[in-house]
Amino acid sequence: MGLPVSHILLATGFLLVLIGLWGLLTHRNILRIIIGFSLIDTGLHIVMVASGYVTGGTAPIADKALPIGEATLRAVDPVPSALVVTAIVIGFSVTAVMLAFAIRLYDAKKTLSIDAFTESKW
Amino acid sequence: MVEGLSQPLNIFLLGLGGGFLIPLLYRFGKQLPGIAFVISLGGMTVISAICLLSVLSGGGAIDSYTAGAMPPYSINLRLGPWEGVFAFSVNIIAVLGAWHLWERLRASYAVLLLYLILVMGINGMIMTRDLFNLFVFLEIVSIATYGLLGTERTPAALSAGFKYIMATVLASSFFLVGSVLLYHVTGTLNIDQMIEQRAAITGPIGMAALMFVLSCLIVELKPFPANGWGLDVYETAPAGVAALVSVGVSAGVFFALFKLLPIFEQQLGVIALSAGLTFVFSNLVGLRQSKVQRMLGYSSIAQMALAVLALALLTELGAEASLPLVVGGIFLNHLFAKAGLFWLAGIINRQQIRDWGAVAARPSVLFAFAVLLIAISGLPPFPSFWAKWELVMQLAEGRLYFWIGVLLVGSLFEVTYMFRWFRQAIRGESREGGFTPALSRMLPVYICVGILAASGYYAATRAGAASIWLFAPLYIGGFLCLFERLPARARCALMLLAVLLVGIWMGRDVDGISQLFAALLLPGGLVVASAGLYRVDPRPGYYPLMAVLLLAIVCLLGASTSLEFFFCWELITLSSYFLISMRREARGHALRFLIFSLASAFLLLAGFGIATAANGTVALAAFEIAGPDAAAAFALLAIGLLIKAGAVGVHVWLPGTYAEADDDLSAMLSAVVSKVAMFGLFMVTYIAIRSELGLDLAYVMGWIGVLTTVAGALMALQQDDVKRMLAYSSMSQIGYIVTAIALMSHLGWVTALYLVANHLMVKGILFLAVAGIILRAGTRRLDACGGLARNMPFTFAAAVIALISMSGLPPLAGFGGKWLLLSAMMDRGWYGLVALGVLATLIGLLYMFRLGYSVFLGPARPTHQEVREAPAALLVPQFLLVTAILVLSFFPKLFMEPISAAIDPQFASTLVWEGMSLELIYGTWNPVPVMAVSVAIAAVGLGLMWFLYRVGRVGSAAPGVTRFYGFYKPVFAPILTPYAYAFWRGISGLVANAAGLVARIYGGNGQVYALYVLYYVAAIYFLGTVFAPEISSF
Repeated sequence: MGLPVSHILLATGFLLVLIGLWGLLTHRNILRIIIGFSLIDTGLHIVMVASGYVTGGTAPIADKALPIGEATLRAVDPVPSALVVTAIVIGFSVTAVMLAFAIRLYDAKKTLSIDAFTESKW
Repeated sequence: MVEGLSQPLNIFLLGLGGGFLIPLLYRFGKQLPGIAFVISLGGMTVISAICLLSVLSGGGAIDSYTAGAMPPYSINLRLGPWEGVFAFSVNIIAVLGAWHLWERLRASYAVLLLYLILVMGINGMIMTRDLFNLFVFLEIVSIATYGLLGTERTPAALSAGFKYIMATVLASSFFLVGSVLLYHVTGTLNIDQMIEQRAAITGPIGMAALMFVLSCLIVELKPFPANGWGLDVYETAPAGVAALVSVGVSAGVFFALFKLLPIFEQQLGVIALSAGLTFVFSNLVGLRQSKVQRMLGYSSIAQMALAVLALALLTELGAEASLPLVVGGIFLNHLFAKAGLFWLAGIINRQQIRDWGAVAARPSVLFAFAVLLIAISGLPPFPSFWAKWELVMQLAEGRLYFWIGVLLVGSLFEVTYMFRWFRQAIRGESREGGFTPALSRMLPVYICVGILAASGYYAATRAGAASIWLFAPLYIGGFLCLFERLPARARCALMLLAVLLVGIWMGRDVDGISQLFAALLLPGGLVVASAGLYRVDPRPGYYPLMAVLLLAIVCLLGASTSLEFFFCWELITLSSYFLISMRREARGHALRFLIFSLASAFLLLAGFGIATAANGTVALAAFEIAGPDAAAAFALLAIGLLIKAGAVGVHVWLPGTYAEADDDLSAMLSAVVSKVAMFGLFMVTYIAIRSELGLDLAYVMGWIGVLTTVAGALMALQQDDVKRMLAYSSMSQIGYIVTAIALMSHLGWVTALYLVANHLMVKGILFLAVAGIILRAGTRRLDACGGLARNMPFTFAAAVIALISMSGLPPLAGFGGKWLLLSAMMDRGWYGLVALGVLATLIGLLYMFRLGYSVFLGPARPTHQEVREAPAALLVPQFLLVTAILVLSFFPKLFMEPISAAIDPQFASTLVWEGMSLELIYGTWNPVPVMAVSVAIAAVGLGLMWFLYRVGRVGSAAPGVTRFYGFYKPVFAPILTPYAYAFWRGISGLVANAAGLVARIYGGNGQVYALYVLYYVAAIYFLGTVFAPEISSF
């Protein structure tokens, strides 16, 4: 097994991003578009976590098993993980707002097709 | 205590604390959230003000650390001068915007909360020094914006909001992944450390990270063509929300780009390219807009692009010292002017531009509207004017001529659509009735006007141009506005007095040719302006503007630097434009006047830029261009001035303007204002002389002058409308002056000045005489007049004297001028020009005779039996000018000696006529033989025409003068096809079509817009990584 787990994670994450992009560009239904955005979000979160991985690293908790001096060498970088938590919260709020818009859009026109919402142009 | 409170962190404490409190307080009382909101927002503004003051008073940047640790282990904030100015001005806008939106905000505590969080988020984007924290604030701002957009329930607004969310979520995803990858390669999220370690940002991951962050920031600024989502929001959101997105959110994103710029130093070319494209194309498509808010959206995007363009180019040039004036100026100008315009749009509440006539009868609203438009168009005295000047100077210095072109073309588009909007507003033909907004609603708009004026003055100080002297025209104009309630005549008299006193004070230090012009134009202007006393209708704003116009002319004559010259030049243009647009019929022509005048001004700006770069100074006295730049600078300046002079081909603005403006204003424009361009030509040819520039260009200018003369005369002959005839005659006479200046010899210049004086008096008299005729007989048509000499003997006498003097017949002043000119051309060997000059003389005699004959002689009209003499208010100025003609004719030395004294030093270096006294010139160039020959030729021509007429007129009744002219009208028609009009109409049609074509990309589909965003990111990625050096080098 020469393939580090971080590479697998990176590949998975970017694959999810691409699937999400494909989804939001090809589907006409606004809910599916929102799902596309969620996939992108999730993919990015995985990429972020993977970027902080140190091969063979352990959890970044300084205790007897991991003296402070060795932390930088043996521990996984905790910062991306911390960032991901924030990003997840933000992603959650954005998805909620999008869904709220979807409800109102549906109320307005009784359809969820994005092609129906092209009032302003040129 | 105060220091503790004024800590920038408290801004976030207030924002977040207020945000959490608002829902809680709502449980206790419906009014409480509003109070908490006001306290929080007000507190944030006050804190940012105190911090800014502390920074500016030498306290240094305020750094705030958090979590008891130092960066990079914690987030830190910084408030330096840039941050302070941005945060404070955004907070001011937020307070004013809350005032504007209060009804909507009060309706729901959620909206209050969103608004507060939005403003706090912008402050955070400005102050934070942590990349990930920047992302968080960006998201806070975005989510709050989404929420505010969702408060408008129309389907269009909701779908625009959804498109906005799609695009910005994509953009911020790139920011997220970019910032994490940057952390991966640099090991820090602290922006300062990242900038220090920017060399480490290499390799595929580093470059991708960099490009992702850059793409997000550029996309958030709504670049062309990936900006349809932004436009839709500007169009459909409530005006107050659109204003906040346009100026507030953009300010945050712009500042993020500004602070991260050091890590994008390889990508400055890409940033400039993106911003330049956006600036030009947004303004281009703006030309096609019929909806107010969408048009403002295009303008917003263009303005932010301009700020980014300036930032990138100045950084590239290493001209960081100019950033405060240029970038700060453009930013603040956009902030207050655009917010004001959006709010005004919300208050007036007319979606379609064509419905804006509703404000036509509201002078105070129109005033604020006009000020905001002037500011947004980058015209004086507002910050953007000084910023653009400095930017052009820097670009010229760095030889980035292409970008100067981009800047000026885009600006011209923007001015065009902005003032087309204004034209609709003053037209007053709305289907609905008038509309009076409450003062309390208008308050934020007025405050913006005040802030713009103050910051304009401050920018002038920074540009080194602020002086009482330069701003005097504006001060006097403002002062006269205070007396608008007095009767019209009292205001006119007050204006004359103010201009007289201040004009004398301003003109006291002027010398040389400028002094001569001042001695002509100030008294001439006052005499012509005094004719305004014949009007008793209110004319709101007319006299203050007239004061600005006249004093700006004096100021221009005394300008010692090209910046002062340009400032006054723009003031003259603007005040003339507003004066012209006061007459209902002139409004379409006024817009054309403005566009051509500003095109002319922009050419001057470019010319001054090149000249200043070549000289290293803006002092006019030191202008001396050598090398390959000389010809370009001279050509740009000369073309600009010729447009303003109404040279043939670019004269299309002139006839309509002169013909349709108020009758006394036409006199002013033709007699006085047109001479300003002549003064400019003197100045520019002077440069050419001093730098011994090839005379080929002057020869070209001579041809242009003569062709203008001939074309003007031919067209004057065709007119049935007496004011149009005088307008073309004006063009024709200006042509003579241009040719005389182009001679670049002592004799040529004496002649030119002589012609300037003569034309001033002659046209002043004729236009005022016509004003009297229109007043009394009620018609401008030549064929509807006749025999008025009996009814209006004094007007007749003045007009005859003016006509004789203009035609160049002895013994009056014009006699000297015209034949001196022909002699000087003979002397130069410009025989072709002489021949055309003689032809023009012939045609001139024809139309002038027609004017005198059909109006005053000829058969009297029965309807005109009761016509009385013109009022004294019109006759007195005419006779003052007649007196001046007589003095000039019979005591020429009074005039010639100062002319000679003024001109001699100009020729000291290339001296052609050194030491030659005037008597000697008259001795050498006796005008009589030339005149005799020319008049003989003219007489033969006239005889020939009469003969052809008699032969050609088959079996018709008694010959008459009217029939004679009627016969020749179709004869000349083929050569008078309005080629120039067709050409310019073609150009404007072409531009409009191009705009329509470009606008097709905005199909309204959110998914397509998301795709554009992805393409844009890909383009930035490739340009920024693969082609970065190539792009930077151009």
